[in-house]
Parts: sequence; structure tokens; C-alpha cells
Amino acid sequence: MGFFMNFKHRTASVTLRGGLLACAWAAAGAWHSVAFAGAPPAAPPAVVAQTPAATVPAAPDGTSGATSETPPADFKTLDQEVQGMKKDVIELNKDLFVLQEELLFPSNTQVAIYVSMDVGTFFALDSVTLKIDNKEVKNYLYTAREADALLKGGVQELYLGNLKVGKHELVAFFSGKGPMERDYKRGATLTFAKTVGAKYLELKITDRVTKHQPEFKIKDWE
Amino acid sequence: MRRPHFIDGLALALCVTAGSVWAAPTLIGKDAPDFVLKSLDGPNLRLSEFRGQVVLVSFWARWASDSREELPALDRIYTTYRHAGLVVLGVSVDEDARRARDFAGAMKVRYPILLDTDPDIGRDYQLERMPVTVLVDRAGVVRYTNVGFKRGDERAYLDQIRELLRE
Repeated sequence: MGFFMNFKHRTASVTLRGGLLACAWAAAGAWHSVAFAGAPPAAPPAVVAQTPAATVPAAPDGTSGATSETPPADFKTLDQEVQGMKKDVIELNKDLFVLQEELLFPSNTQVAIYVSMDVGTFFALDSVTLKIDNKEVKNYLYTAREADALLKGGVQELYLGNLKVGKHELVAFFSGKGPMERDYKRGATLTFAKTVGAKYLELKITDRVTKHQPEFKIKDWE
Repeated sequence: MRRPHFIDGLALALCVTAGSVWAAPTLIGKDAPDFVLKSLDGPNLRLSEFRGQVVLVSFWARWASDSREELPALDRIYTTYRHAGLVVLGVSVDEDARRARDFAGAMKVRYPILLDTDPDIGRDYQLERMPVTVLVDRAGVVRYTNVGFKRGDERAYLDQIRELLRE
């Protein structure tokens, strides 16, 4: 019940915001068409009707002063409005994302699996295949750009799904180029208990310097 | 009172027409479905990473006779326009990767050849005949699709490519 009330509240909030945004966009669009259509409207705003040369006095040294001109107050307000709308859009996007996650992946059954890479001298990642309870749930191919992003410290959300409460087995197969540019394929397995509440697991690729080999681990974030 | 036969016929024709329109929605004007595939040379390539460039995606198959004519024609276009911002991605839908590699090698194409290992791509791009070329503009939107290939079609491709490169 609490969830549905929360959902209703959010939906109302999102709808309201959406409506406000639509109005704001319509207003902005109307202004845009006034300012850039070329033909002035019947009662144009004073700022649009004036030319910059008429509003900005010439600089004392004889230069036009056009480079140092300050935007009129109306433009400033409009810019602030646009910035405000951008902020609203970002906020709305965040709300929708959270709402989607709450609906599709309720926290009671949610399982999220992340990938991270540390160093990567002995391994160039090409793909990861995930199996949960012997069923393939994800096969992801990495481009050079994505692998670079992981090497720079990025963490990727590889899989988001739902699992029942109980024991489960996760198997991850990593393939790529290992030491000496040889094709390399390794697996890592973790048996974990899914309890009530979201489960977060991390696939970690690190270098084992002493053995000159990559190491693959699955970390269970309690 | 019996219904005239032509009304039944008309209803049937309408149903068939509606069905065919529904079954073949166009991709033109929509965002190109993204994919990431392994190339024959090794690296994986993702379509969306070429945003900002004009991309010609050529779906081909070894068993499609038109592909034999299309691949060399696309290679000529690629070598001429790649410095102007054209990317050509050849996607082989052959199941046998080795034979696809041999075929592409015999055709001596210089653009990347990808192996279609993802069953979703055929569905996303509504591939029913081979070859199919899809032209994606700099914003990642499908602008032209061409099905089949016959000698002289490259002129139409060039017109489309030049138009997108000018944008």
C-alpha cells in the first residue's frame, strides 16, 4: 500500500512537472518564433525591437564597445528561465529513472551486477557472459572505448534483474587478450543468498603481479 | 439477406493491406537501432560510437548473389569518401564466420566486416532480403534504406551519401 501511495505521489509529481515543463517549453517556443521569425510582431518587446548599437554607447577610445556589451535584462531573465528548465528536465529524468527502477525492479527482488577493472596490464577485456542459475542472462561485448573507460576507473552496471529470495549461483565468463596477447578466457563463480532487499554484486578484474596473470573475483556487497 | 461477394473481397483486401503495412514499418526517420559486434579484424565495434559521422551499414550474406556485386562497389565508395567522414560497416549475417571471412577476403574490402552474432539485429533492422544497406546520418537517424543491389545502384548511394555528408 505504501508503495502504491508513493507511486501515486510520484506519478502526480511527474505529471505536474511535465505539465509545467510543457507550458514552459511552449512559452519558450513562442518567444523563439517571435525573436527569430524575422517579421516583428504587432507589439514586440522593446529589447527585440532595439538594435545593439542603439543601446550600447561607443567606447571612449573610439572602439564600438560591442564586445563588452552586457545582455539586456530580458535576455538575462530568459537565460535564467532556460537554465531553470534544463534543471527541471534533469530532475524529471532522474525521477522517471527512479520510478522505472522501482516498478521494474522492486528492491525486494532486485539484483544488480557491476563490472570494474583495476590496472588491466595483463588482460584486455573483450566480453563478459553472465549466467545465473545456469541460465545465460547477459552477454556483453566491449568496444575499445568502453574498456578504456573501465581502466580509467569507471564502473559499469552490467545487469539489472529480479531474483527470488534464496540461494543462487552466479557464473561470469571473461574473455579477452591475456599475457603475451594470447586469447584468454576465465570464469568466476559465486553462490550467494538473496534476501529481502536489493542485492549488489561486483565483478572485479585485477592484476596479480606476482603471477603475471589477471585475477577475476566476484564481490558481494552486503 | 446475403452480403454481396465484393464486400467480403474488399474487407479481405483491406485486412491484407493493413497487415502488410503493420508488418513492414519503415526505419526511416527513426534512431538507428544500436548494436555492438565483433569485427573480423578483432575489435568490437558499436554503431552509436560513430555518432557525428555518416555511417553506411551494409548487411550482406555470402549466399546472396547481389552481395558479390555490392561489396566491391561499397569498397570503392568507402575509399573515396572515408576522409570526408563516411564510415562503412559491413555486417555478415552468415552463420559460418570462417567462410564469411574468406568471402570478404576474396572481395578485398577495406572497411570493417562485422559478424552478426546477435539475433536481435535482424529483427531490429527488419532484414527479410539480402543485401540491405542502411544510411545513418550524423545524428544517428536512419535516412535511407536500400534493399537488393543491381549494377548502377551505387550512383543512388553516392547521391544519398553526398547529401548526408553535406549536412
